[in-house]
Amino acid sequence: MATGGAGGGKTYPFKVVLLGEGCVGKTSLVLRYCENKFNDKHITTLQASFLTKKLNIGGKRVNIAIWDTAGQERFHALGPIYYRDSNGAILVYDITDEDSFQKVKNWVKELRKMLGNDISLCIVGNKVDLEKDRHVSVEEAELYSESVGAKHFHTSAKLNKGIEELFLDLCKRMIETAQADERAKGNGNSQSGGTRRGVQIVDDEPQQSSGGCCS
Amino acid sequence: MSLKSERRGIHVDQSELLCKKGCGYYGNPAWQGFCSKCWREEYSKARQQQIQGDREFAERLQREEEAAYASSQGAPSLTFSKFEEKKTNETKRKVQTVKKFFSPSSRGAQKKGEGQEVKAPSPSISRQASLETDRVSKDFIDFLKPFRRAGHEILKQCRAFIESMNNKKEMNIEEQSEYVQDFYQNIVDRLQTQSTFKGSSERIENVMDQIEKYIMTRLYKHVFCPETTDDEKKDLAIQKRIRALHWVTPEMLCVPVNEDIPEVNDLVVKAITDVIEVDSKRVPREKLGCVTQCSKHIFNAIKITKNEPASADDFLPTLIYIVLKANPPRLQSNIQYITRFCNPSRLMTGEDGYYFTNLCCAVAFIEKLDAQSLNLTEEDFDRYMSGQSSPKKQDSDTSPGFSQMYKNLSLISQLNEKQEQIMSGTKKLEKDLIDWSEGVSKDVQDIIEKYPLDIKPRSQPVAAIDSDNVENDKLPPPIEPQVFAS
Repeated sequence: MATGGAGGGKTYPFKVVLLGEGCVGKTSLVLRYCENKFNDKHITTLQASFLTKKLNIGGKRVNIAIWDTAGQERFHALGPIYYRDSNGAILVYDITDEDSFQKVKNWVKELRKMLGNDISLCIVGNKVDLEKDRHVSVEEAELYSESVGAKHFHTSAKLNKGIEELFLDLCKRMIETAQADERAKGNGNSQSGGTRRGVQIVDDEPQQSSGGCCS
Repeated sequence: MSLKSERRGIHVDQSELLCKKGCGYYGNPAWQGFCSKCWREEYSKARQQQIQGDREFAERLQREEEAAYASSQGAPSLTFSKFEEKKTNETKRKVQTVKKFFSPSSRGAQKKGEGQEVKAPSPSISRQASLETDRVSKDFIDFLKPFRRAGHEILKQCRAFIESMNNKKEMNIEEQSEYVQDFYQNIVDRLQTQSTFKGSSERIENVMDQIEKYIMTRLYKHVFCPETTDDEKKDLAIQKRIRALHWVTPEMLCVPVNEDIPEVNDLVVKAITDVIEVDSKRVPREKLGCVTQCSKHIFNAIKITKNEPASADDFLPTLIYIVLKANPPRLQSNIQYITRFCNPSRLMTGEDGYYFTNLCCAVAFIEKLDAQSLNLTEEDFDRYMSGQSSPKKQDSDTSPGFSQMYKNLSLISQLNEKQEQIMSGTKKLEKDLIDWSEGVSKDVQDIIEKYPLDIKPRSQPVAAIDSDNVENDKLPPPIEPQVFAS
């Protein structure tokens, strides 16, 4: 954030929000990505709800902050407070759980409604190590993803499969969006625009509409 | 007769009613026992002293600033304008301190002193505030010193900004917030073009933190929970709401924290303290810091209970539980204040921002909480809300708070008993000691009486010491020296 303006050594600060029902493996996914550990006794972080990772993609420095969200149904209405101003969203479902995929669909609808196309979406089918218990068909998931302008990935936090690719692709798309945004608004302006948005964190309006959405 | 005794009951000595100074007029407790005239004199004296103190402090600050920048100001042409600036600053400051003094009590201070005596003249409160402001100013100046020219530039801008903010009090709070945010943005933009800071985002952030601290400490009074908004009403509403929800148990929220573990219990208490502490800070970033600290304690508590890193699924319910338990003062005001005046880079992307967002979520959840969100039936929820019954009733004995309380109570009564034993022991010992010393002196007295000390006078002369020794004659004669002829 602080380094913006001048080009060259710019760092992109991206906020990525992690959505999905409880027990689909959101936490395992980020812990695998940031710590490369799975169900390990030696996990050093105290928490897995806010993690950051620095990347260098094609000479562009990227700093992603991954915001975990509470997946329980009772907290669904709080979503807008979490995903406000985020650049990307990772929507996780469990391939063995049809319900969790339905949840993802709800999230997508809501995100598109609230944030439009400013946000890059990734739909992630986790737990592919349990392929034999699959309840969400690959075709359906991929078709759906394409139809809403999201990328679909299959991952397994247990086997460390597909996670690097997921984040890499998401970052690339977020950079593209950010660059397009810069070009559109002219250098520098984009930032103050971002600031302005960030000022109003507590605001009733989106919450009400989300309430309407889930009722 | 009875009338007389009654009168005696409330009788106050005449001298106590008189002015403490002894001028002969009656005094009044409201004037600390002085008469009106003497009180005015005393008060104005004290006031003069304080004004003098403030002025001296301000002047000392001014001198220090001057010294700090005299070295960095090479160009002589600047000296005059500098002098001018200093002069205006000085007068401004004087006016400010005096004003500060006369304003009976700031809104913020008044609230802090809720329940205490508000009617008493409160120079001490506003004085404390002004002291803190002065200290922050001094720190800020010290911080900027190493940056020389650039630092001076920043200080000038901040001063000008605060001045213009003070002239814009009629603006509504959103406009003021926007104004402050624009100022942050401008400063960041300007810093980025300066060689001292170029390319060092860390240093810029550091400077921004200090700027935020400086200007927000000064503006706090006017922009925290301003009268023009309904922040205060919201504060009271959420407070009432939380109070009404006192019956919510950790089980209902599925809080993954086991408070029976003493270590975890400690952490929960710490988290509660931290979230209450938010209200005591003035700088948005410090308020955020309290929220972060609170969150860290929660994470630790979860980690100890579950033995794995906490996810948001664990964290949010626990935070909600902590907020319910703490019922932090002026919660909405604080949230609004942070949102409006915090440096946006902190609030949007940083870790602090994440925890703050969770706090906002917790508050939103509490506001909208219903039977469904606690997995209760409507009837149960309504009954609990109306206070007809309480779910805590059945397990009140097992609740750790209660059992701890009972334990403590029995401990206290034990201690009380011991204390009493010790006291009676002490009394006995004291009595024994007195008895003993009395006994001893009595014994001594008896012995003296029984065997009175009888000093016989010396009757015989010293020379006759051997005279009556009858056996003298039997002694051999003294040896006489013999001379041997050689």
